[in-house]
Amino acid sequence: MKAAKSAAAPAIAPILLIEDEASVAAFVRAALERRGYCVVPSPSAAEGLRLLETGDFCGVISDIRTPGGVSGADVHSWMRQHKPELLEHLIFITGDIANRATAALLEESGAPFVEKPFRVAQILSMVETTIGKPREQHDR
Amino acid sequence: MRAAKRIREIPSRLNGSFETLLAQFSAATRELKPSIGPTAFVKRFTSNATRILETTSAALVLVRGEDWELASAEGDASRISHDKQVQLAKELSHMKWNSVGAVRFDSAIDIFGGELAEELGGDDLALARLTGSEGDLMGVLCLVGRDRAFEAPDRNLLEALAGHASVALENARLFSWIERSKKQWIEDFDAITDFIVVHDASNRILRVNRSLADHLQLRPSELIGRHMEILRALAVEKSKHVCPFCRDSRAGTEEYVQQAQERTYLVSTSRLRSLPEDDLRTVHVLKDITDRREAERRYRELFDNIQEGVFFCTPSGQFIEVNDALVRMLGYQNRGELLNANLFEQLCLRPDLRRRCVRAAEEGGMLRNHEEVLLRRDGAWIHTLQNILIVRDTAGRVIQYRGLMLDITEQKSFQAQLQRERDFNKNILNNTRSMILVLDTAGLISYANRRCFETGHREIELVGHPLSEFIVPSRRKSLAEVLRGALRGVPIENIELPFIRGDGTTGQFSISLSPMRDEQGNINSIVVVMTDVTDAAVLQAKLMHTEKMAAVGQLVSGVAHEVNNPLAAILGFTDLLLENAEVPESAKDELRVILQEAQRTKVIIQSLLSFARQKPEQREALQINAVLRQTLKLRAYDFSNHGVEVVEQFEEDLPAIVGDVHQLQQVFLNIVNNAYDAVQETGRPGRIEIKTSHANGQVEIRFRDTGPGIEDVDRIFEPFFTTKEVGKGTGLGLSICYGIVRAHLGDIFCENNSGGEGSTFIVRLPVAAETAIAAAAASERAQ
Repeated sequence: MKAAKSAAAPAIAPILLIEDEASVAAFVRAALERRGYCVVPSPSAAEGLRLLETGDFCGVISDIRTPGGVSGADVHSWMRQHKPELLEHLIFITGDIANRATAALLEESGAPFVEKPFRVAQILSMVETTIGKPREQHDR
Repeated sequence: MRAAKRIREIPSRLNGSFETLLAQFSAATRELKPSIGPTAFVKRFTSNATRILETTSAALVLVRGEDWELASAEGDASRISHDKQVQLAKELSHMKWNSVGAVRFDSAIDIFGGELAEELGGDDLALARLTGSEGDLMGVLCLVGRDRAFEAPDRNLLEALAGHASVALENARLFSWIERSKKQWIEDFDAITDFIVVHDASNRILRVNRSLADHLQLRPSELIGRHMEILRALAVEKSKHVCPFCRDSRAGTEEYVQQAQERTYLVSTSRLRSLPEDDLRTVHVLKDITDRREAERRYRELFDNIQEGVFFCTPSGQFIEVNDALVRMLGYQNRGELLNANLFEQLCLRPDLRRRCVRAAEEGGMLRNHEEVLLRRDGAWIHTLQNILIVRDTAGRVIQYRGLMLDITEQKSFQAQLQRERDFNKNILNNTRSMILVLDTAGLISYANRRCFETGHREIELVGHPLSEFIVPSRRKSLAEVLRGALRGVPIENIELPFIRGDGTTGQFSISLSPMRDEQGNINSIVVVMTDVTDAAVLQAKLMHTEKMAAVGQLVSGVAHEVNNPLAAILGFTDLLLENAEVPESAKDELRVILQEAQRTKVIIQSLLSFARQKPEQREALQINAVLRQTLKLRAYDFSNHGVEVVEQFEEDLPAIVGDVHQLQQVFLNIVNNAYDAVQETGRPGRIEIKTSHANGQVEIRFRDTGPGIEDVDRIFEPFFTTKEVGKGTGLGLSICYGIVRAHLGDIFCENNSGGEGSTFIVRLPVAAETAIAAAAASERAQ
C-alpha cells in the first residue's frame, strides 16, 4: 500500500544509479535526465552506500555485479536494514540472470530488474512504475 | 598149510614109485624156500617140474595184473624164440581159467598150434594153476612133450607141486615186498635231514640216520652199539645227564631248544616203552633251527628298531603286540601301558578305521595307505598313515589285524600350509583386478588367471595358444618385439595394444611383461599383466571433452557478459539519438542500421548464453516420442518436398523424462535441420531415421542420416564450429544443443556410420524418477 502511494507521489529527490560500466551509466543517466529525473551516479556500490547514508533519494538503480567487494546484493541487504522504505524503489541491472547467486538475489528480493543489453524504453517504463514519474511531468 | 595138506593126500593117489616121487618132491620143496627170491625160485620150480614129470618142455607163465609173462622156461621151451614165448603166454591168457580145475591135460596142438607144439616137443600138454591165498590166479605151469600120456597120478603130483609152489611164490612175493619196504624205510629214514638217534635203556645206540652219521663223518653202522656219549658234541657241553639229550627219562616226550657248536637245535624226544620193562627205546630228533632262529631274531630286531609303529591286535582292537616306535608315537610310557589300550575304542577319533578293517577283511585284501587320526595319551591328535594286514586262521576266520603306521602329522601340517599358501596365491591371482598370464619362452600361454576369462575367451582357448593370436594382426609385430625384449630380461611396462576379445570386438589393453627366472637365473617364462583400458580411454576422452566444453562454456559466458556492457551502451545511445529531434532524418536511417546490427549481436550473445546456461528453464514430465513428433511436424512438409524421407522407429511406452519441452524441441529441430542440410549436400534423395529406445535408466534418441558424414565429430559441439559455408550458419546451433542436453543431465554425441555413409547423432536423457515427475508436476501447478 505504501509502495503504491509512493509510486504515485512525485519524485523530487534524485535517483541513485550504481553502475561501474561508464558507458552504461552514461546512457542510463542521459535517458533518465532527458525524461526529467535527477540522477546521482556512483561507479561502485561502496560509494553508493555512502551516498545513501547521507543523502536523500527517491529510488535506487543498481548493477548486481559491481567491483570493490560490495555487490548489488550487499546494497539490497543494507537498504533492508537502514532504508527499508526505499526497498520498494530498487531496480536491479544484471548481465547474467543464469548466475546462481544473481538468480537467488532476484528471487529473494522480488525486486524488478532489467537484463543487459536493455533498451531505453524498457528502463524508463520500469523506473516510472517502480520509482515514479519525473518532477517536470508531475508538475505539468 | 594148504600145500602140506595136499602132500598128505598124495600117497592115496600115487602108485608104485611113491617113495621116489616123495624123495624128489621133498628135495624140490626144500629148495623152494622164499628166501631164495622170486626169480631163482621160479627157475628151480620149473626145472624141478620138468625133471619130476619127465617132459621135454616146461614153462611158467606168471600173471601180473593184465599182463601174462613167461617167467621161466626149461628144455625145448627155453630154446624157442622170444616171439614164440610171447605167443605162448598170450595163448594161455586167452583160456577161460575160471572154469579150469587145478590141473588140466590138453592138446598142445589145439592150444598153441602145430608149429609151436612141435617146437615144444609134442602134443601132450599138462597145465597147472598157481592160485593165491585169496583164490586169485597167480600163474600157470605148462608142461609139454612126454614119451607117455599124462595120467591120474601125474595130476595129483602136479596139483601138489602147484599148491606148494603157489604158497611159496606168494610168500616170496610177500617177502620181497617186506624187503623192499624195509629198504624204502631206511632210505626215507636216511633222507631226513634232521638228526635222529635211537638208544636203548642202557644208552647204547640202536639206530642213527645217515644225516647224523654224515655230520659226525662216520658210517651209520659205526655208531650202532656205541654209547650215547659219542654224541656229546651235539649237546649242551656241561650236561650232567648220561645221555646228552635225555633230561627227564621218566617223561614220555620231551621238547626243548639247545645250542651247541654255534647251532641251535630243537630237541624232540619220544620214549617207546614196551615189554619187557628194560626194553625202553628213546628216540631223539635234533632239528637244526639256527636259520629259523636267526630269521626270527632279525624280524624281532626289525620290529623293535623300526621307526614305523607296528602292532598286532585282535579284531576288536585289543593290542596283542606293539613295538617301541608305536609306544613313542602314541606317547605311552611303555609297551605294557599301550597293550592295555584298545585301538578302535580308545585311539580312533572316528569309527572309520574299524569299519574299513572289516570291509577290507570282507573283500579279502588288506587296508592300504589309510589315513587315520589317532589320539595320543597326552590328548593331542596325530595323523597316521596305516597299512593293515588281515590275518586269518585255517578256517578262514579273521583272528588278527597286523598294522604298520607312520606319523604323518608333520607332512599333513606342511601339506595344509602348502595348500593354504597355494589357495592364498590362487586367491590373489584370481581376485586381482588385472588379468595375469604366464607365457613360456615360445610365447605360448601356460597359465591364465580367472580374470582373463572376462575377455570372453575360455581357458582352453587361451592356454596353449600364442598370446599374439589375440592381438590385432597389424600390431603383432610390436608384441613380438617386446616379447623378445622380455626374453632378454628387459621388462616392459604398460604398452597399449588392441586385444581381440572372445566376441570379436577389439579393446585397448595395457600390457606389461616381466621375465621370470628359475633358480639358476635363467628366464623360463614371462609374466604378463593386462588391463582392459578401453573404458578408461573412452572415459578419458569423454572427460576431456566435457572439461573442454565446460571451459568453452565459461569462456563464452565471460565473453558474453563483457560484450553485454558495450552492447547495452550502443543500444542505449542509439535509442537516445533516434529520439533526439536535433538528429536529422538521414542520420536516423543509419542509426537504425546500427540498432539492427546491435540487436543481431544481442541474439548471438543470448544464444551463447543458452549454451553455457546450467539449468533448464522449465521442468515437466515429458514423453520424448511426443516431443519428437511435434518437432518433426514443423519440418515434414519441407522435407518431403525436397526428397528427404523421415523414418520413425519409436519404441512405444518409453518412460517419461523431466525437462523443458521448448529447449528439447530446439535441440531436436537443430539436429534434424543439420541432418537435412547434410542429406541435401549429397544432391541425392536421402533418408533420416529417428529411433527411440531405452536402457540402463536412459532414453536414447538416434538421428541417422545418409549425408556425407562429419569430418571432426569431436569438435562439432564447440561454439562457432561449423562445417557449413561461411554465412550459412552461426556455428552456435549444436553448441546450444549441447548446453541444453547437459543441463538436462543428458548426453549428446555423434559418430560417423560404420557403413561409411552419413552420421548419427545420439541424445541420451535420464529417465525421470517418480519423485522428479511429482516435483515437476507440483512446480507446474504452483506456477
